Amino acid sequence: MIKYAFKRLLQSLLTLFIVVSFVFLLMRLLPIEGYFGDRFQKMSPGEVEAGLQKMGLLDPWYAQLGKFYAGLAKGDLGVSFIYRRDVAVTKIIAPRIPYSMGFGLTAVAIAMISGLAMGVGMAKNKGLFPDKLGTLYIVFVHAVPLAVYLLFVQLYGSSLLGLPILFDKHRPVSWILPGISMSLNGIAFYAMWMRRYMVDELNKDYIKLARAKGLPNGAIMVKHVMRNAYVPLAQYLPAAILATIGGSIYIESLYSIPGMGGLLVDVIQRQDNSMVQALVLIFSSVGIIGLFLGDLLMALFDPRIKLVKSEGAR
Amino acid sequence: MSLTWRAGGGIIFQFCTGGRTLPGYSLREVLKVKSRALLAAGLVAGLVLFSASAADKKSADYVGVYSGEISTLNYLVSGSTSDQEMAANMIDSLVEYDRFGILKPCLAASWKNSDDGLTWTFTLKPGIKWVDSKGKEVADVTAQDWVDAALYISTKANASQIADVLTSVIKGAQDFYDGKITDFAQVGVKAKDKLTLEYTLTARVPYFLSMLTYVSFLPVNGKFLADKGASFGTDNTAILYNGPYLMSVYEPQSSRELIKNAKYWDLANVLIPRLIYKYNKEAATLGPELFLRSEIGYAAIPSSILDTWMKDPAKKAQIHPAKTNTYTYFYALNFNPKFKPEFEPDNWKAAVNNLAFRKSLFSALDRKAALLTEEPYAPERRMQNTVTPRGFVSAAGKDYVDMGELAAIAKKDSFDKAAALKWKAQAMKELAGKVTFPVKILMPYNSGSTEWTNRAQVIEQQLEALLGKDYVDVLPQAFPPTGFLGATRRAGNYALQECNWGPDYADPQTYTDPFAKGSNYNWPELATGYGTKDKPVYEDLIQAAIAETKDMAKRYALFARAEAYLIGEAMIIPYKNGGGGWEASKLEPFAAPFAPFGMSELKFKGQTVLAKAPNAEEYAKLEAQWQKDRTAALAKVK
Amino acid sequence: MKAPDQAATLAADAALFEFADYDAGEGERGGYSNYSYWKSTTKMFLAKKTSLFFLVLLGALLFFTFVQPFVPGQRSPTTIFQDPATGMQFRNVTPGAQFWFGTNSIGQDLWSRIWSGTRTSLLIGLTVGLAEMLIGIAFGAVWGYVRRLDRVMTEIYNVLDNIPTTVLLMLLAYIMRPSFKTMVFAMCAVGWLGLARFVRNQIVIIRDREYNLASRCLGTPARRIVLRNILPYLVSVIMLQTALSIPGTIGWEVFLTYIGLGLPVQIPSLGNLVNEGRMIMMSPELRYQLIFPTVITSLITISFYVLGNSFSDASDPRNHV
Repeated sequence: MIKYAFKRLLQSLLTLFIVVSFVFLLMRLLPIEGYFGDRFQKMSPGEVEAGLQKMGLLDPWYAQLGKFYAGLAKGDLGVSFIYRRDVAVTKIIAPRIPYSMGFGLTAVAIAMISGLAMGVGMAKNKGLFPDKLGTLYIVFVHAVPLAVYLLFVQLYGSSLLGLPILFDKHRPVSWILPGISMSLNGIAFYAMWMRRYMVDELNKDYIKLARAKGLPNGAIMVKHVMRNAYVPLAQYLPAAILATIGGSIYIESLYSIPGMGGLLVDVIQRQDNSMVQALVLIFSSVGIIGLFLGDLLMALFDPRIKLVKSEGAR
Repeated sequence: MSLTWRAGGGIIFQFCTGGRTLPGYSLREVLKVKSRALLAAGLVAGLVLFSASAADKKSADYVGVYSGEISTLNYLVSGSTSDQEMAANMIDSLVEYDRFGILKPCLAASWKNSDDGLTWTFTLKPGIKWVDSKGKEVADVTAQDWVDAALYISTKANASQIADVLTSVIKGAQDFYDGKITDFAQVGVKAKDKLTLEYTLTARVPYFLSMLTYVSFLPVNGKFLADKGASFGTDNTAILYNGPYLMSVYEPQSSRELIKNAKYWDLANVLIPRLIYKYNKEAATLGPELFLRSEIGYAAIPSSILDTWMKDPAKKAQIHPAKTNTYTYFYALNFNPKFKPEFEPDNWKAAVNNLAFRKSLFSALDRKAALLTEEPYAPERRMQNTVTPRGFVSAAGKDYVDMGELAAIAKKDSFDKAAALKWKAQAMKELAGKVTFPVKILMPYNSGSTEWTNRAQVIEQQLEALLGKDYVDVLPQAFPPTGFLGATRRAGNYALQECNWGPDYADPQTYTDPFAKGSNYNWPELATGYGTKDKPVYEDLIQAAIAETKDMAKRYALFARAEAYLIGEAMIIPYKNGGGGWEASKLEPFAAPFAPFGMSELKFKGQTVLAKAPNAEEYAKLEAQWQKDRTAALAKVK
Repeated sequence: MKAPDQAATLAADAALFEFADYDAGEGERGGYSNYSYWKSTTKMFLAKKTSLFFLVLLGALLFFTFVQPFVPGQRSPTTIFQDPATGMQFRNVTPGAQFWFGTNSIGQDLWSRIWSGTRTSLLIGLTVGLAEMLIGIAFGAVWGYVRRLDRVMTEIYNVLDNIPTTVLLMLLAYIMRPSFKTMVFAMCAVGWLGLARFVRNQIVIIRDREYNLASRCLGTPARRIVLRNILPYLVSVIMLQTALSIPGTIGWEVFLTYIGLGLPVQIPSLGNLVNEGRMIMMSPELRYQLIFPTVITSLITISFYVLGNSFSDASDPRNHV
């Protein structure tokens, strides 16, 4: 077990290294004028050169890469040059993570509880009206573009319920709408997944046997069906939780939530290299850790799975 | 661990299936009851919270949303307008403009200029203080503050984006920037004593005073700057304030708040107690809705929903046209074509050097039709017949655009169907055999702008319909927004393109910068057929005007002549000025400082927040009144 | 019993019996079942009313999308129409007799724009889907079958999988300047991973089965084994993945347009149209500009989704009767 974990760790570090370097090099291909915005028109060549020098872009690419990793080893993620000039990247990112995670975790919790319950309800009433209603909801959420129905919910939800349009951290009532909006997609996902899973399971022979033996419905659900459902759920859950760090770009830009969601898009558009590198590093690490934790949890729950020999690629 | 998981799952399932907890009820009924109860509880809680949280903004405050976050509060390095908007309201300069555009003393009580015009001496007002973000006094404002600011800006390692404004006029500053001299004492900015500041220029600059309102000439407390080092300007506690407002709350990507500076020297003129800004990336979409719900005091109305608002009387009563600004837009004809052979650059070059051909294009462009794509109501107010806008500068009681030959051009709309066809006939005669017709006209546009895309199509269809497809073949080409100018105008990769320019100082010379030799707009110096006495080279005309630094009326007249020449020879086609559109705004119009360039229009000093947004008629009345008062005030100055 | 009665009974029931002749051919015939995988799949697929409905709907949509330009009386999607009476552009005209879907805020005909946009988006979706399929299968097959390359390719896969998709898409769009080709290239670059991994997993499971070992012993080249033995098993799942990737591509296109890296504005696409419509959501009389593109996008997404799921259900042999 320990040996396996160690091997995975090394592999992950290597992957991270390659990913970050690859993105680093990609960023070097961006046009120079993008670094200066509108002012570029009126800047003299000397000023442009001074600006590039300050951003460290005039050194050869291997020197830049080396500097970045040297800083990283000391725990320094670099300094932002364009997004917030001269401010340490960690100082910019740190206050934003709690917002994203706060909303994200709430949304995951709501989605899981409501979605799983809904899925169970749908499976139990397969073919009847609740099932059809649920399917309609799931189809609607998947079909209509996210950008559209989120704005719709914001504008009409806020006017119907009398809630403020924008998020304000001093007014708890403004937290409701973003939280619910964020979970809409998740509810549909969990409901659909649970329904399909339950339909599959309930048709299996061992369930028939349990019923024949006289086990009540509730006990079948808990002892057999749900017990088996935990395994794939557990594999997915850590990744989902960690993914909340990334925030939802749509929700955060619509409600003005100072989270991580729009940050990535923003810093790529403004070509703030140090921020992009730091964010790629964070998101990739989060993804890798999530997968690893998922595999661990899965192995814990399901005695049939042995981690050492895994057929699938991770 | 598995036990707790099972138990947890069991609880969820007991709840859902109602198997053990509520015997006798089916799942559906359980869910129905439970969800109804939850919904009711939620609503009640929501209502309670909602009524409990009282609105904490008063009606005299200004609340707005913005989508462009500031990148730094270090006003000595930043070139972006959003950053400068903050500096304009937090730091005062030596001089300022009042609401009629007349220069008045600000932090400088008086000034004098030496006879040769190279030395300016400013005497500061005593008793001005630097305060920190809590309003506590930290230091006095002294002349040394301007020297320290100039030193910081002129140091190349600080990578200031606005250094060139300073280094181009102050003696020795460019050398210091390039590292040719290392002793800052040799640079022409000195603090003679605590309240006396002296600037020495490289050459006489008639508009020097107007430059002082720009960020490059703001003061900074040297000791504080040295203490903070690299973290200067990184948040609101890392700068000092001497202006009308100080920043009390700074939460990037969330909100910021400016409050009145209680120690400000001109407190009586600061009428809005708080400026509250909320960040929202979707400000363009949500702004009008937020305005309707009275959550903010200003929203720009995009042209896509303008019609809806104009048709609804309740909404129409809240909007008025927005001010235009001094940005100028024109269509440039390229004398240095460097584009792909498929667009026939040599053919274009031969055609563009023919005066009749250029004049046919000049007269054929229906600017009003083009302007309708972005300004559907009253497009005439943005149409401009000259490059320099009206109201920019005036001398000897006459506005610049009314001087000399420029006056006739300023009054006449260039669009003239009959003249266009006449010039076409003449051009075809003169160029027969030298040029293949139809002449291909490569017209790039920025594919990221819907309005520009549509305008390109409108112009293409309009020019070809009027002049005939046998004469010209307009080819609009889309270029992406990233690196747009580098790929098109700067590289000479266009035949006809819509360009813009903003003034850098209050003198007509600024509007000649794009066409001067060494610039990268349309290279008029490469036009053939000039250099004789009747047809002087445009560059010479500019140089003659620049040389005149003593007599302002004469100087402006020479510039007016040069501009009339440029337009008369149809080297460019003036189009429109910037700004415009419609807005819903509770800010009192025409009360803010007015200036033809710079940051003055970003200031909130002197403005109030009205109870109701003025509608179009009220706005027009206020504007007429302002024009009258302005003329009277200008007359008094002369 | 009495012997003379027996013979009489037998003679009377002779009509009920006939001789069973010995037929040599019958003995050769093996166990026969007229089960055909594809026939059964098709039958199951078409049996469900919903899938039939969506199949017809999607077919009609696709057909009309590509036929629309040839229908007489259609307008160009990019031309700006001006009212000859006033000289002003036909801005924000509500749907009616002259403009079936109305016009947008600049005077372009929404009906032709929507069909042109659907064409563009579908083209992107189909191209990307096809490219993903080819690249994914090729990469996955090589990865799964050739043991020596397994370590290297797993590492490559891990690296590519861990680059956040958003970052890669955005960077590619910035570097290569937004255009049709850029979008297709960027989405292909990002999308083939899932299919490759799946193909690889399946191949790893199947490659050691006895019939494949037998083929190897007989000297069949690897390529033929992969193509003839293994891939036919995976067809159903590959089709499902490809079908589901098309609405996914449209979703990514809407996202890229939202952040400003979509197709240039003069090329109508569903992403562009939806985002333009978003701006005017609160104006009731302009809402048609949002409803039409959203409805079409939703219909396409639902259709591919439902069809994909039905097909995967139908092609699962366990569901075959």
